[in-house]
Amino acid sequence: MRDVARYGMVIDLDRCTGCRGCMESCKIENNTPQGSYWMYVFRFEEGEFPGTKVRFLPRPCQHCDNAPCVKVCPVGARYKREDGLVATDWERCIGCRYCEVACPYGVNTFNWGHPEEHYYGDWNAEDVAPEVRGTVPAWDNPSLDLPYGPEQRHIAGGGHLKGVVDKCTFCVQRVEHDLDPACVQNCPVRALVFGDLDDPESEVSKILQRRPSFRLLEEAGTEPRVHYVGGAPPSAETKQIEPAKAEV
Amino acid sequence: MRVTRRTFLKGTGATGAALAASRLLRGPETLRAAEVAQPIVEDFVPTACWIGKQDCGILARRINGRVVSLYGNPSNPRNLGTLCPKGVAQIAALYDPHRVKAPLIRTNEKGVPGTWRQASWDEALELAGSKIRETLAKDPSLVVWQKGRSKSKYVYDEALVEALGCTKIGHGAFCSDAGYRALEYTLGPKGVLNPDLRYSKLILAWGWNAVAAGGNQLCWITWPRQLIEAKENGAKLVTIDPRIRGTAHFSDRWLPIRPGTDLALALALCHVLVKEGTIDRKYLRTYTNAPYLVGPDGHLVRRGEDFLVVDERTGTIVPAGTAGAVPALEGSSELDGATVRPAFQVFVEHIEGSTPAWAAEITGIAEDDIWQLGREIGETASIGSTIVVDGVELPYRPVGVMAYHAMQQELGFQAARAMTLMLMLIGAMGAVGGTLATTKWEIDDNYWALDAIEIGDGPYDPLLKSSRFFPINSGNPAVAATAILDPETYQVGKFPEVMIVHMANPVVSFPNTEVLKEAYRKLRFVVVISPWLSETADLFADVVLPAATMEKYEGPASASDTYLDAVMVRTPPMPPLYQSRGETDIYLQLTERIGVYEAFIEHLNEQLGLAGPHALDPKRRYSEREVFDHWAKQQGLEEGIGYFEQHGVWVKDPLPPTVRYGYATDPPFGGVIHRFYGDSLLRYQEQMREKGAPEVFWRDYTPLPTWRTLTMDTSPPEYDLYLISYKLIEHKQDRTAFIPLLSELSGGQRVDINPVTAAAKGISQGQMVWVESHNAVTGETRRVRAPANLTHAVRPDVVAMPHHFGLTSNPNSRDLGPSPNALFFTGPGYVGMTADASFHVKVRIEPEGG
Repeated sequence: MRDVARYGMVIDLDRCTGCRGCMESCKIENNTPQGSYWMYVFRFEEGEFPGTKVRFLPRPCQHCDNAPCVKVCPVGARYKREDGLVATDWERCIGCRYCEVACPYGVNTFNWGHPEEHYYGDWNAEDVAPEVRGTVPAWDNPSLDLPYGPEQRHIAGGGHLKGVVDKCTFCVQRVEHDLDPACVQNCPVRALVFGDLDDPESEVSKILQRRPSFRLLEEAGTEPRVHYVGGAPPSAETKQIEPAKAEV
Repeated sequence: MRVTRRTFLKGTGATGAALAASRLLRGPETLRAAEVAQPIVEDFVPTACWIGKQDCGILARRINGRVVSLYGNPSNPRNLGTLCPKGVAQIAALYDPHRVKAPLIRTNEKGVPGTWRQASWDEALELAGSKIRETLAKDPSLVVWQKGRSKSKYVYDEALVEALGCTKIGHGAFCSDAGYRALEYTLGPKGVLNPDLRYSKLILAWGWNAVAAGGNQLCWITWPRQLIEAKENGAKLVTIDPRIRGTAHFSDRWLPIRPGTDLALALALCHVLVKEGTIDRKYLRTYTNAPYLVGPDGHLVRRGEDFLVVDERTGTIVPAGTAGAVPALEGSSELDGATVRPAFQVFVEHIEGSTPAWAAEITGIAEDDIWQLGREIGETASIGSTIVVDGVELPYRPVGVMAYHAMQQELGFQAARAMTLMLMLIGAMGAVGGTLATTKWEIDDNYWALDAIEIGDGPYDPLLKSSRFFPINSGNPAVAATAILDPETYQVGKFPEVMIVHMANPVVSFPNTEVLKEAYRKLRFVVVISPWLSETADLFADVVLPAATMEKYEGPASASDTYLDAVMVRTPPMPPLYQSRGETDIYLQLTERIGVYEAFIEHLNEQLGLAGPHALDPKRRYSEREVFDHWAKQQGLEEGIGYFEQHGVWVKDPLPPTVRYGYATDPPFGGVIHRFYGDSLLRYQEQMREKGAPEVFWRDYTPLPTWRTLTMDTSPPEYDLYLISYKLIEHKQDRTAFIPLLSELSGGQRVDINPVTAAAKGISQGQMVWVESHNAVTGETRRVRAPANLTHAVRPDVVAMPHHFGLTSNPNSRDLGPSPNALFFTGPGYVGMTADASFHVKVRIEPEGG
């Protein structure tokens, strides 16, 4: 009998409205810098007027059981935890970006600049700094600086250092306190559900028992922990509209 | 300190590795986690979203008193612990380094970006107060309080305005007020059409973007959540909209309607219902004036005070309301030598020609689709059926319509009436699963007032209230601006002198923006109360008073999701930043300088219902917290405002069906007769003509909605496209584009254009294009440029632009592109019969560079 949960996520594509509230709550929760989105919601358009179809696909890190990114990390900064979370030790990462190349889902972001310069405002300005108590950004989350897991590595939050890679952590700093990842908690239509796939009573398990599901790029053999119900995977006809592409 | 791989590398002197490391390192501060010495105190305090319309409950997570993130408050029925991207990103607005940090006094001339000196609150309040006082003494109506959004209706819109005795203008003419007027006039409640989503089975998203926009009474988050639940319960969604985008995902069908033709479609649907015989006769006979007899002059006939009907039992004419009579809906009779017909008969003849084939020509929707929808409406309505809700048996007519901002079009008032008549034909207004207008079915004063307007001869006030131009008048600042700039044509006798601008940005948000700017030049003194230097402030404010964002007390406001009763008060998660203050505090101080403090306190007592021990003493000074504390105690909450500081929201009981559904109130529908036939509209038309009003103003004052060619369709053919505007979920009006978290998410302005149309014009994705609008009445043109965005989600003859841009004062929003409000017009043909703005215009597009 395992003590450790086997975490996974179920995303209901029938419910998602493409609001991108999850992208935003992830960003605030994890202090990711400008232009960097760990959770990403695709807005898709298919077909032609008047038969236009529009749909949405949230895509967090898939926290694969057979993660290509873990395989290629030369220094062991990217590793798979027992509970399934694929984590990045930002102290160990050397920024080689092999994980970025290896990942077929494109979930990795590289920190090109000093985070202080890429956090949306001049928090050090004379009249601003006292009001925000000298923190950068003003909403800096100190939970992200602490070590996590039995392994006690620095794996939470983004934008800590220039020159390292980061990605969705399934909000390890929240999950270890029995909270849902920020994206899951925030979704206004409960399209995202997180929990223990080994617990038959968990919401994720119950949904998967009840409804057919698919995973992205199953043929790649990555064994994602993210399952989708409703909707369908993107096809050759699917076009991305309204990409969230920031200029940094 | 711990020796880590990094510090080891830094110290080795091994060239390659050291260089790499020093390029990457920030230094020992990266290990600040290990060095965090002080204990961290974490807490969660309630507050409420300040950006949107429905005041979603927020729990602010604080670390040692510093707000670090905002989560939804699970207790708030509207958002149930979740937030839209704006609510989450609001944290950047709270801390925005570009907030106005102290009161500002202008040092240069107006009409150009301002140069300012920072002043003390004392000086700024004294200056603003003295100017307001001067003009109040002259004529209080020359002081105008202009709100965009008000989040403390009782305090600002009522108590403050009454204490000042000033003129009050809102933003409704740019929102959905044409719909409000139609519903108030026809049925009585103050709202526009919204579905009873819990029970609806056929939902029409009529110009409603279900995944990105507002809607009546509520907004994002609540409506989409309820819609999804309705769909999961088997409801069908039909979208009637020139542009579909997000709603597509949930729609069972899309009817891509030509802009501005909703009235024609509604009449055609009425035609189908009549032809198919799916008519709720009982409702029409019992609760409406549909059986009332109309004379040859088009007016309802009266005998003394009574309207008349034909009693089917006897075939004779009797007063309406005669006990036991069964009023006829069809046929004709003779009365005093004239032919009289029930209004319903007049209506049936009126829509004889409004066939689906006729409407197909006008709307661009296929004839068969209109027949199909009409039949589906008639069948789904289940006329005659009932359902038990919370122990009360009520009529069940599960056809719900959400139509809101779409009513701001040239024929808006009558289009809303036509849609309402369609729903009245099937008895769905106020029914379970049908269409409602307000959370509680209550009759607004306007039900009577809009039927009893006395049209004056002038001179008129700048809003042209009770004038021969706009007898029914939503109060449109752009109309006022137009009238001030052309006082002879509009017979304006008064010119506002002082403007207090509250959470509004008229020179960006109110089309046409050039007209607004010109009118603002004529004001003597402008006070802008805002957390940011809005464009209105930048160009025209004499004084800017910095308002707080969410760090203040505001309310009380409903937190109901329309099924559960709840009330909220916004409480601050931290003290106001910089020198900002909550507006209630500002007004408590400003009214003192003006000399109306005691009156303000007395009106606060009245509006907030404060009495006995909880009444405010006009002789005492209060903080805003104390005002709300008194209110909370008056509600019976022992902890006073502490209740809201702890919980954020006070959830009460489910709203009983006897307050939600018109059929269930006591008496039903508030005891008022539904104006199927708008007799007074005809009367107003006659008076307007008599007083010499030009046809453009009186032509739509007809007792039944009547289609006509739209003004914009008389623009020359080279203006071959319709421009419509829409909302992005990432933004709210003009108050978010400068929040970098949101503008990075949304990108800037774009012109949505159908790929087939784009190809024909040689326009490719992302290419900069000029959009030029044309005023068919004056010949004026206006143009802006933005990148093209090719999408199949719009009709080939439509282009669409979101609202939220055109902001130039805040460095974060300067490069996001223009607002479509620079393209829409105001004035004849571009405002409706009720002075409501039209967000439609014909445009042409050409690639930049030709």
